[in-house]
Amino acid sequence: MTEAISAASTAEPAWQWPRAAYVHVPFCAHKCGYCDFASVAGFDHLADRYLAALDREMADHLGHPREVDTIFVGGGTPTRLAARQLSELTRILGRWLIPAPGAEWTVEANPGTLDDEKAEILAAAGVDRISLGAQSFRPESLKVLEREHGRPEVEKAVAIVRDRFPRWSLDLIFGVPGSSSADWERDLEIALEFGPSHLSCYGLVYEKGTRLWQGRERGEVLPLDEEVERAMYEHTIDRLARAGLSMYEISNFAVPGHESRHNLVYWANEAYFGFGVGAARYERGVRTVNTRDLNAYLRRIESGQPATGPTEELDAEARARETAVLMLRRIAIGLDRGDFRLRTGFDIDDLAGAAIGRYRDLGYLIDDGPRLRLGREGIFLADGILADFL
Amino acid sequence: MAFDPKFIRNFSIIAHIDHGKSTLADQLLLQSGAITNREFREQLLDDMDLERERGITIKARAVAINYVLDGQTYELNLIDTPGHVDFHYEVSRSLAACEGAILLVDATQGVQAQTVANAFLAVGGDLAIVPVLNKIDMQASRPEEVKEEILTSLGIDPSEVLAVSAKTGLGVPDVFRAIIERVPAPAGDPKAPLRALIFDSKFDDYQGVVTYVRVVDGVLRRGQKIRLMAGETEYEVTGLGRFRPREVPCDELGVGQVGYVVANIKKLSDVNIGDTITQVPGPAQVALPGYQEPVPVVFCGLFPATHNQFDDLRTALQKLSLNDSSFSFEPETSDALGFGFRCGFLGMLHMEIVQQRLERESNLSLVQTAPNVTYEILTVKGETLHISNPTRIPDPGLIEEFREPIARVNFIVPTDGIGAIMQLCEDRRGIYLKTEYLSTTRAILTYELPLAEMIYDLYDKLKSATRGYGTMDYEVIGYRAGDLCRLDILVAGQKVDALSTVVHRAHADRRGRKLVKKLRGEIERHQFEVAIQAAIGSRVIARETISALRKNVTAKCYGGDISRKRKLLEKQKEGKKRMKQVGNVEISQEAFLSVLDDSED
Ligand SMILES: Nc1nc2c(ncn2[C@@H]2O[C@H](COP(=O)(O)OP(=O)(O)O)[C@@H](O)[C@H]2O)c(=O)[nH]1
Ligand code: SF4
Repeated sequence: MTEAISAASTAEPAWQWPRAAYVHVPFCAHKCGYCDFASVAGFDHLADRYLAALDREMADHLGHPREVDTIFVGGGTPTRLAARQLSELTRILGRWLIPAPGAEWTVEANPGTLDDEKAEILAAAGVDRISLGAQSFRPESLKVLEREHGRPEVEKAVAIVRDRFPRWSLDLIFGVPGSSSADWERDLEIALEFGPSHLSCYGLVYEKGTRLWQGRERGEVLPLDEEVERAMYEHTIDRLARAGLSMYEISNFAVPGHESRHNLVYWANEAYFGFGVGAARYERGVRTVNTRDLNAYLRRIESGQPATGPTEELDAEARARETAVLMLRRIAIGLDRGDFRLRTGFDIDDLAGAAIGRYRDLGYLIDDGPRLRLGREGIFLADGILADFL
Repeated sequence: MAFDPKFIRNFSIIAHIDHGKSTLADQLLLQSGAITNREFREQLLDDMDLERERGITIKARAVAINYVLDGQTYELNLIDTPGHVDFHYEVSRSLAACEGAILLVDATQGVQAQTVANAFLAVGGDLAIVPVLNKIDMQASRPEEVKEEILTSLGIDPSEVLAVSAKTGLGVPDVFRAIIERVPAPAGDPKAPLRALIFDSKFDDYQGVVTYVRVVDGVLRRGQKIRLMAGETEYEVTGLGRFRPREVPCDELGVGQVGYVVANIKKLSDVNIGDTITQVPGPAQVALPGYQEPVPVVFCGLFPATHNQFDDLRTALQKLSLNDSSFSFEPETSDALGFGFRCGFLGMLHMEIVQQRLERESNLSLVQTAPNVTYEILTVKGETLHISNPTRIPDPGLIEEFREPIARVNFIVPTDGIGAIMQLCEDRRGIYLKTEYLSTTRAILTYELPLAEMIYDLYDKLKSATRGYGTMDYEVIGYRAGDLCRLDILVAGQKVDALSTVVHRAHADRRGRKLVKKLRGEIERHQFEVAIQAAIGSRVIARETISALRKNVTAKCYGGDISRKRKLLEKQKEGKKRMKQVGNVEISQEAFLSVLDDSED
């Protein structure tokens, strides 16, 4: 475990002042069947306007440049932007965000959209981490997911990324309808052969409104048996542990030191800025989300209005409870009682003593005195357990 | 000055539901000038919206009508009666205040079960009966046939039967005349000490208890000191009056008159319906014949769905009992459901109404256990126990004889429905008594049925078996020994007391299998496997298992997801809060309710 991700506390409550920034780029080559992100296909002609709007939103919101420890450019597909636009994006970010020494800057990329030129631009700007969306290497699974690339594109993207960025990650999805445990194990082996220092492995979610969800509703898509999904998940945890990638969050695995520091901000329930369509931010205890409608976003920013939609501010106890739920997603570090008290002002045992006792007895929680963590079985049943902390 | 009793007539309208009782009552008010045409549109006598929705009048009410016939003014007191199976006793207490009754029969529907049941009550109470056919304005009316039915079922001469349309008012003047000519004037001694019959009461937020009375002897005056003879409690009359149909205060009520009394009575339970009011000093020596207190026949446990609402539930029940003293409730503790109440009702409909009121008026969400009847158990030691809670039924080895209440049930059905009803009754351990034909197309079928077999859904089954045309009425006639046993449900090895029921041994296997299957569908998967069993004593007769939850984890939770995911978890947690904990297993409210649902699926 590195310094960067140990659950250190600062004098300034970390949920107050953002030291992290998320920037959203919605453009994609086409819409994947399972996707419910704020992403659009066929709107690339709005990219220049979008970048201008981002610039404006950051200017209006920040007023002056801010120092941050992490930047995460996600999507959509940021690398769908043309090289010229990508470098414009880095200039805009450079204008408003000052990476602190040793800062982490991640950009998401999809195979088939990344080339040497774009990679050079990103590396030159200071991007030090690439997250590649591979999802699967199995043609049938990619088809079910409606992804438009294959293994060769991933290989090419990895070749481009590997030598230019100190850290890079692959995203994979398990539990795709029609796949077997063996299929998934093969996907995982292929991914490991590429040698990433970080892997995100997600159990497939049927998000409401997606084509995949509709298919399931109509009975055309048959979800995998829960037992098979569980076996895939278990295999993932064990296989990656053997490969030296330890599970540091429910869906995230890394060589120690290569964890996503930006994402750890979320799981410590710390503050973050958010810019772009559909982006969420959490500042001084208030969470707001921008509209997910690209045109509305553009119109509002261009007319000097904020693009925010729903706002949420929790009271101290609710915030503490939410913090507990997020912290417990961190498999390795879990929730440190002292740290929790410092950050939230609450004693976790006062908030959830009964649940802790019950789940500790069942072995779902490991309590080593200072810290609480999900036990192995607890990982598979995390939702039911975490709900009891709310 | 009291009104001369010679010119007073006290009567009720008795009818099967929907035969037009309320409409006729309004029409009488309209034609006597008590209400305007516009007001006629509203059914003045039904003022509880729940009853109106169901077309039932539960609470009897009295209206005083002045009517001039041949130059003489008469005072006609119409005392309303409820029209449903469960409320027999309320009908009889209203009838006790009358000398006559209009027997109203829908000329399109003909004689129905409550027509017969209520007519017998009236005849038994020595009332003059004025038979009236209603809805003769309708194409589908068949007055001659229905008169035949009245003759066959009640022995009433067709020539006595009037025909009206309560809706248009056609023929209604004849009804007035018949009431005046056929119903005897009240007999009573104006000089004797006061005796007034309490035939109903209600609770009013402002005035406290309002009692409805009919003066038999003497005079009842405002300011007078009175005594309730059964309770031996004394009050002062602070308010007196009549409904016409709105409240009109008066100073005194004389022989034969009907009205309301307000006397600073705090609780409904301080008043016994059927009690006699007399005066002090100089009270009457002999009270008027009263009625029997109605006994609850159907019971169920009612528990708050969320913890810590026991007190709220108690308050709500107390409040409700202010207006309905006919249901009972006493605290009950269940391992599965915690603290609640065992409540007794006059019948299934009564139970439903009370529950709906509770939920509606108090905002409580309730868990209800399966309804049951009171069992009489003779133990091997020779004791006789009356038990209205299945969990209290002793183990089989301690029971010498297990007895259950039996009802005599009359069904009036189209002849082509006889087969279906017979089948229905055979399936429910019915004993056939007789069939009487009202006409070539309709018959009265009489059965003896265990009350327990009726309380789930007999009424609904009757309706569907007869396309809505069948009607029924019942009367509990006593206890009879049966081959009964208690069926227990075990969840994860633990007996869930609230799910215990009493079943006939011959039906136990089928019922047990059905119950566990139902529960399997209603209990959510847990982090471990959950076994559901049905057992009689220690013998397991059915079993189902709910497999363990194997994977339940949100894959993605980044900045934009946090609020939404938290809300999803909160919802899960909320759901859990409303669950009942049995050992380690959480059982939803729906699961308890599903046991009530007797439908085959
Ligand atoms: N056509 C017609 N309809 C009537 C007559 N009397 C009552 N109704 C209707 O029959 C239904 C039941 O009447 P209601 O007075 O509520 O019956 P209750 O349940 O006996 O009080 C209502 O829809 C009335 O409008 C009548 O004489 N003619
Ligand atoms: S690439 Fe990602 S953001 Fe774009 S449509 Fe596919 S899943 Fe959605």
